Order: sequence, then structure tokens, then C-alpha cells
Amino acid sequence: MPDHSSSLQQFQNIYLTLHIATIYLSYIAFFVASVAAVLYLIQDNLLKNKQVGIVLNRLPNLFFLDKLNYRAIGSGFPILTLSIIIGFIWAKHIRGASWSYNSREVYSLVLWLMYALILHVRLSSKLRGTKVAQLSLVAFCLVIFTLFSTCR
Amino acid sequence: MDLMVLGINHKTAPVEIREKFSFTGKRMAEVNRLLKEDASLEENLVLSTCNRMEIYAVANHNKDHIGDIKNFLGRFHNLNILDYKDRLYVYRDKEAIEHLFKVAAGLDSMVIGEAEILGQVKKAYQEAKESQTTGKVLNKLFQNAFNTAKKLRTETSITRGAVSVSSVAVRLAKKILGRLRDKKVLIVGTGKVGEQLISYLKKEGIESILVTNRTFEKARDLAARFAVAAIPFEDFRSRLVETDIIITSTGAPHCIIRKDEILSLMPMRKQNPFLIIDLAVPRDVETDTNKIDNVYLYDVDDLQKTVDETIVLRKNELDSCFEIIGASSGKFIDWLISEKLRNEG
Repeated sequence: MPDHSSSLQQFQNIYLTLHIATIYLSYIAFFVASVAAVLYLIQDNLLKNKQVGIVLNRLPNLFFLDKLNYRAIGSGFPILTLSIIIGFIWAKHIRGASWSYNSREVYSLVLWLMYALILHVRLSSKLRGTKVAQLSLVAFCLVIFTLFSTCR
Repeated sequence: MDLMVLGINHKTAPVEIREKFSFTGKRMAEVNRLLKEDASLEENLVLSTCNRMEIYAVANHNKDHIGDIKNFLGRFHNLNILDYKDRLYVYRDKEAIEHLFKVAAGLDSMVIGEAEILGQVKKAYQEAKESQTTGKVLNKLFQNAFNTAKKLRTETSITRGAVSVSSVAVRLAKKILGRLRDKKVLIVGTGKVGEQLISYLKKEGIESILVTNRTFEKARDLAARFAVAAIPFEDFRSRLVETDIIITSTGAPHCIIRKDEILSLMPMRKQNPFLIIDLAVPRDVETDTNKIDNVYLYDVDDLQKTVDETIVLRKNELDSCFEIIGASSGKFIDWLISEKLRNEG
């Protein structure tokens, strides 16, 4: 009996560690994406309004920032997906139910849908540049909400 | 031992006069050697560009070397040098050193901070060195001038920014599109600035450049000159979908590209960024086009504004440049004086 519970404990620990590690990894990717988005919007604003010193500033070019945003979300999204799946499995073992409508679960799902939407519009070339940058900032606000939400 | 410079430049003489003094296209080694002999100079160097002709000289004897140099110029170019006495300037010692430092750094140029002059000074120095008319003083002086120019470039903003409409346009394109090599350019209308832009864009490695004009022959001629392709005017709209940069400069009295047209193109363009440069007056592209996401419209005034800002920025840097030049020339004059004393002693 003690053997069984300790191996269960070990199993839960591995899942919990993986769950948390992947969550933070995806958040780092989303953070990078939102930094790129902010810089994109600044640079875009300068270019649109023909601001002083537009050719002098050292901000990266729009093409680079757009690609960085896309790549960061593109790598953060599968990691987030993995994290959510691990979370389901872990919750099932701990609580017997993989879904319990706590705020973190709901936020995470909304977050996942949001990034899925961004990837969809970007991949299908429906939106690009400014709009994608704005969307990814909205999504990052959700990341912050999710961080401060609880599992209870 | 005196260091002196005699010259004529764009500030003292118009091109009609400057060209009479020019040595461009002459064999500089020969000119340098002739001058050295003629004016019995210790060291000399001739700098001849389209904006200036200057002779840097070091002489040992206490006689009128400037007069000798002027006589040489008069003889060589077949000029009555007295007619131009107000056009020629002479600087000696500290002034001469500072003058060269300013020239090499582009501070004396028509466009402040331009970099081309440094290459021209280096070339003139190389030619004089090869003709063995430079010596201890000029060698050290010019090395110092090159180092000072480099220092100004790295420590001040004197060479930053873009100072022509074309270079601003290219920088904008890079700010929006990143690397330009694989981008597609469409030129509508043939104009001087448009032509300059083609050569700038080609320098960036762009291969896909299409030219069009209402009079097809003009487009064809321009395309042939730059080894790019020409298309009939009626076809240019169908090319907009794949174009990354469009440059318009037609003589049309009204807009030829409207906002709605570009707006409806954007989904087909997969929302790819679009840089529109409108060089025409009256303008070819509806102003509101700039409001479309991922479309950046610049007209000739927008570009000129950036050029003007750069020039103001560079002018503001002049004081710190003069400070650096003062320090470098101070060091050089100290060395020159110690050399003089040693020679005399």
C-alpha cells in the first residue's frame, strides 16, 4: 500500500512539474510576442504619422517584428496546448474530474481560444501587422489575468 | 617650415569657375611632381573634386610660395590668376590643419556630413604619396585627418540620417519591409527622382523592378537604361497585387490610385505591407490611402521633411565636431612646432 501511494505521489509530482513548466514556457513565448507587438505598434505609428526621425530610430523593422510576434505565438501555442492537456490529466487524477469550472481553467481556455484565433487569422492571411499586434496584446492581458486567477 | 593650403570651393566660386581650376581626369602623379618642382615645395598634395580644388603644401624657405603655386595654376590652366584672387582662399598652419580636418569629415561639403569626400581625400593622398610628393608633415597630417574624420563619425551624429529624397525612401522601405532583395517594385511614370530611386533600389539588390509610363517608349527607354523591365500603362493595375513598393511620378492632373482600389486589393495581397511613394505634384495617390492598415503612403513633402530634419540634426552636431577637431588640430600643431624648432635648431 505505501508503495502504491508513493508511486502515485511521484506520478502526480511529475505531472504537476510538467504542467507548471510548460505553462511558464508558453507564457515566456507570449511575453516575447507581446513585446514584439508593442514595438510593432510604436514603429507603425511613427511610420503612419511620418514622425520626426523615423529613419533615425533604432527600432527593428516591421517585417522582423511581425515575424517575431508570429513565431513566438506559433511556438507558445502548442506548448500551452500541451500544458492544458497535462492539466486535464492531472486534475482527473487528483479530483476525479478534469474540468471543474474554476477561474483559472476558464481563463486558460479563453486564452487558448484567443491564441488559436490569432494563429488562424495570421496563417490564413486574413489579418496581418497592426491588427495581429493589437490582438496579441489583448491576448497577453488574458495571460496576466490567468496568472492571477486561482485553481479553486 | 610652413604648412599652407590654397584652394577654391563651392562656397567661393560657382561651377563655371571651379571647373577651370579642376584637375579631374588629369594624371595626378604628374601634376603633383610638376607642382613640386615649379613652386619649389618640400611637400605637396592636390585635391580636386567637383566641389573643390585645393593644394596642400609644405615649404621650407622664407619666400612667397603661395605666389609660386598661383603662378603654377595660372600656367597649367591657362588662366590669368589675378582675375580670381577673390575666389581663392589661403590658410596657414593651425587654420590649414583645421580646414583639412573639416574637409575630410565632410563639414565643409555642400551636404554636411556626406561621406564621399573622405574617399576622395584618401584617393588624393594616395596619388600624392605614389608620386612621392608627400613627406613627414603631410603624411602625418593626412593620417590625422582620416582618424579625426572617423572619430567624428563614431562619436557624433554628423553622418546619421538620410540627406536625399531617394535615400530617405530606401530607408523607409527597409523600416517597413526589412530586407529588400526579394521585394517587387513598380515605377509608374518617369521622372528624375524616380530614376535616382531605381539606382538606389538596385544597389539594395532588388531584381524585380517594373517601369511603366503613359508613353510606353519613355518607359522602355528608362527600363533599358537600368536593365529592368517595362510594361504597358494599361497593365500596371493588375500588377499591384504582387507589388511591395510602388513609386508614382506621373504628370496626371488628378489621382490615378484611389483608396478604395487599394483597400479592395489588400485581401488579395494577403494584407502584405505596401509602401507607396508618391513623387508627383499634383499627387497621384489619394491621401486617405495612408489610413489603410499596412499601407504606408509618403508624398514628396513627407520625404523632404525627413531630409530637412536630418540636416538640422547634423547642424546641431557641428559644435561638438569643432571641439573634437580643435583638440586634434591642437595636438598636430604642437608636433609641427616642435618639428620646426628642431629643423631650425
